[in-house]
Amino acid sequence: MSASATILAQHLLNGVLIGCAYALIAMGLTMIFGVMNIANFAHGEFYMLGGFLAFYLVSLMGLGYFLALPAAVALVVALAIVLQHGIFRRLRDAPMMTTTLVTIGLSLFLEHVALLMWGPQPQSIPTPFPTTPLSFLGIYTTPLYLFCMAVTAALIVAGHLVIRKTKMGKAMRATFQNKEASALVGIRIDRVYMYAFAFGAALAAAAGAVLGGFIPVEPTTGGVVTLKAFVVVILGGMGSFVGAIVGGLVLGIAEALGAGYMPTGWKDAIGFFAVVLVLLFRPEGLFRRA
Amino acid sequence: MPETGRRLAAAAAVLVLAAVPLAVRDEYYLHLCIVAGVFVIAVLGLDLIVGYVGQLSLAHAAFFALGAYTSGLLFVRAKWSMWLGLPAAAIATGLIAFVLGSVILRTRGHRFIIITVVFAELMKLVATNWIDMTRGFMGLPGLQIPALYVPGIGAIDLAAKGRFYYVVLAAAIVAFVVCRSIVRSSIGRKFILIRENEPLAESLGISAFRYAMIAFVVGAALAGAAGSLYAHYVGFVSPDLFNFSYVTIMLIMVILGGKGTLAGPALGAVIFTFLPELLREASHWRMIIFATILIVATLFMPRGIVFPLVEHLLPARWRTRDAGAA
Amino acid sequence: MQALKLFAAAALLALAPLAVAQETVRIGVVQPTTGPVAYDGNIYVNTVKMIVDDMNAKGGVLGKKIELLVEDGACNPAQSVNAAEKLVTRDKVVALLGAFCSTSTAAMMEVAKKHKVPHITGISTAAQLTEQGNPYFFRAVATTPMLGNAFGGVLPAAVKAKRFAFLVLNDDWGRSMAASYPKSIENAGGQIVATEFFQQSDLQFLSQITKVKAANPDAIVLAANTQQAAALSKQIRDLGVTVPLIGEGSWTSDSYLKLAGPASDGVYGLVEYVYTIKNPINDTFVKEFQAKLKENPTKFAGAAHNAIHIMVDAIKRAGAADPEKIRVALEKTDYNGLVGNIKFDDKHQAYGQTVYLAHVKGGVPEVVATAKIAKP
Repeated sequence: MSASATILAQHLLNGVLIGCAYALIAMGLTMIFGVMNIANFAHGEFYMLGGFLAFYLVSLMGLGYFLALPAAVALVVALAIVLQHGIFRRLRDAPMMTTTLVTIGLSLFLEHVALLMWGPQPQSIPTPFPTTPLSFLGIYTTPLYLFCMAVTAALIVAGHLVIRKTKMGKAMRATFQNKEASALVGIRIDRVYMYAFAFGAALAAAAGAVLGGFIPVEPTTGGVVTLKAFVVVILGGMGSFVGAIVGGLVLGIAEALGAGYMPTGWKDAIGFFAVVLVLLFRPEGLFRRA
Repeated sequence: MPETGRRLAAAAAVLVLAAVPLAVRDEYYLHLCIVAGVFVIAVLGLDLIVGYVGQLSLAHAAFFALGAYTSGLLFVRAKWSMWLGLPAAAIATGLIAFVLGSVILRTRGHRFIIITVVFAELMKLVATNWIDMTRGFMGLPGLQIPALYVPGIGAIDLAAKGRFYYVVLAAAIVAFVVCRSIVRSSIGRKFILIRENEPLAESLGISAFRYAMIAFVVGAALAGAAGSLYAHYVGFVSPDLFNFSYVTIMLIMVILGGKGTLAGPALGAVIFTFLPELLREASHWRMIIFATILIVATLFMPRGIVFPLVEHLLPARWRTRDAGAA
Repeated sequence: MQALKLFAAAALLALAPLAVAQETVRIGVVQPTTGPVAYDGNIYVNTVKMIVDDMNAKGGVLGKKIELLVEDGACNPAQSVNAAEKLVTRDKVVALLGAFCSTSTAAMMEVAKKHKVPHITGISTAAQLTEQGNPYFFRAVATTPMLGNAFGGVLPAAVKAKRFAFLVLNDDWGRSMAASYPKSIENAGGQIVATEFFQQSDLQFLSQITKVKAANPDAIVLAANTQQAAALSKQIRDLGVTVPLIGEGSWTSDSYLKLAGPASDGVYGLVEYVYTIKNPINDTFVKEFQAKLKENPTKFAGAAHNAIHIMVDAIKRAGAADPEKIRVALEKTDYNGLVGNIKFDDKHQAYGQTVYLAHVKGGVPEVVATAKIAKP
């Protein structure tokens, strides 16, 4: 392959890696938003906790890597269930300002608890993968990157299947569309909420655990992740799962290509400019509420 | 409380506030008073949109920072003193809010909130990367408090904390009076109607968009003015002013102080300027406690903490049931 | 009732300073003990505390004990200003050290100027700090351009490279590196083939690394601190780039080495201090540091060592714990310490000290070259 084609392909691969992660995180956010009508400002903290707990389990408790990842996610799910039961259950019909303020407070709370427990030190999760890069036609990647892409893609597909095929998924979609009617036909809204919140948190935590192998996590990482997730969700359309997936991939690839061929200082601006464009020309987002 | 009682209380409050520099000699506490005063102005503006109209704007800290930058840039590049810089900052911020509002105020719900966050981040990105104009993270240093030229007396130096306090106090009183006149006028009543029942308001021909815009622009202008004062006082402007932490502290001040009132956020600003400083030692715990208080108060205390507390301490005769105006 | 308690607490705090007369020499320190750089900030604070304890055991300075007052600046300009204000107006310190990040130091030096208290930074390298004509501010560390002038010429030979790429943080530090090193590198026969930037908040750098790789460099020069340095090292190796990395920032500290793991092997660090320096003062310092603080001193520990020693040396020469006299004494500094001789020029910029190129082999950063900082 010619040199410039190789570079383009490398940028694309980089973009897909990051885009898959964006898509996974945004899907979790959309799930919480779509079903519970809550803009979860603490979403990034679920990512952060997934990463930190995985690090803790692997490094300090000696759990095997492939056991630690799901274990970390399970712990975050447990936390989400506790939060849903203790706090969000009371907010079922609360106005938007209330729920948003609560998630902002929660985000602050989790960030500082993490700072208190683990300190500000960034941590990287030790992985069992060999560190030598793999190359194909001049494009480089590592076993860990491939693992990340595989896991995130699998989780996205799994999420999609859960929503489309399972009973709970159907219940979630029904609640999504019409809460009152769903309650009337016997769907237990509280349980649906719990599943949605737990699943959304699980997706974010999984992303954190899996990416933590090559992107160090620290307690303040949550804020940046939440912001990216919101950008994807605005682009894709709030409440659209397809929008979250496509939006995440598109943003990841657009950032990689943008940074690849423009001055790199403005890479983050790509997402924001895209948001501005969407707002001006297609305010509902690329995909309407599914 | 009857109207004359209120007027007396207000006059007494102003007198007490004016006497502060005479009683408090400690420079550090004066410093905190000044910072608190600046935040009073900023959160009064935030309360207009959050408390009265009922829209959660997270762009307010960005307006504060934009005001600081406007004033700072005019000082550093065009040698404009704060006397010109402050109104310029207020006007510039108001204009930016006008443009932003025209695009986003028709949106409702969560998208509005998130877009205000994205806007703030975008402004931070510009401040950080437009190095030729803003010097990025190197910031704008050397800002000064100007002297006051009084004909016949000459230039009065205002840099001393005891003196600058009066500048901030005057500005805060002006901000309070402006907000109060808006809130007590028919505009204020329309704010509340829109907040409580938007469809009804629309059916009566009251454009939610137009009134939200008024609150948004005036609020932003106040934040911009506060930013200008802050910039000249601290002497330095940098992109850190766009950090989300300013948003959260302003929200805490408004919500816990009591949104939808005027005295509430003002008191909230004072309390939550002093409290973090008094709790300096317990840094992480401090934020954990604030976050918990925010969650608990949002869930269980919609009128905030300040008013219920004050009412609890006041004799029964003076208590007011009226939460609509201050 | 909460209001009453608050009031009582406030009243007590207000009266506290009156209880303590000036029986000690009070030095104020503003450092990030919380926030993103808290780890390094705490190392600085602990180092200063350790050294001051030693000094006090030997009698302190001017016959009085040194009292260290530490406030958290969190690398946030507003907070650093609050901290400095508190130290100067309430705690009545006669000297200030801090505030680590250049923007916080810039904000803090306005406070020092306003209250006429001498202020040293051992860490902040933004060039404009010494260009403000602030007579109370002193910088005890070399700036990036000075490092560039000292080392740029040495690099091509030291790492055996001709084609250099820059991958630096998009702030004044990174930008000044990308602006000042090239000249001396080119004079020594090198060539700059790419310059890319990343943001403070970036966690993955794959795009920038891909761009740099496309330019085919023999060596990459970087400006980054621990977290980003570790991520960069890993991701650079992940994308199949095997050329030597030369970094300004935290490329030789224990925390970086641990975080980056095998990716740190072979990395070069451009440092003002590294624990493997061989001289008697450092030998004692390292031994004590390892015993008391259980790790190897990083460059921030070295910076703290310099800053507090220079300040106390000036206090001694001033003959009194008087801020103005200390300031005058600081100007005449001729201090021999951890990294050689340090003097201040008329802009209060330090010069004359030795700086080091360290090469990481097997987790140990060995010094492979040194240079002296010339008078600017």
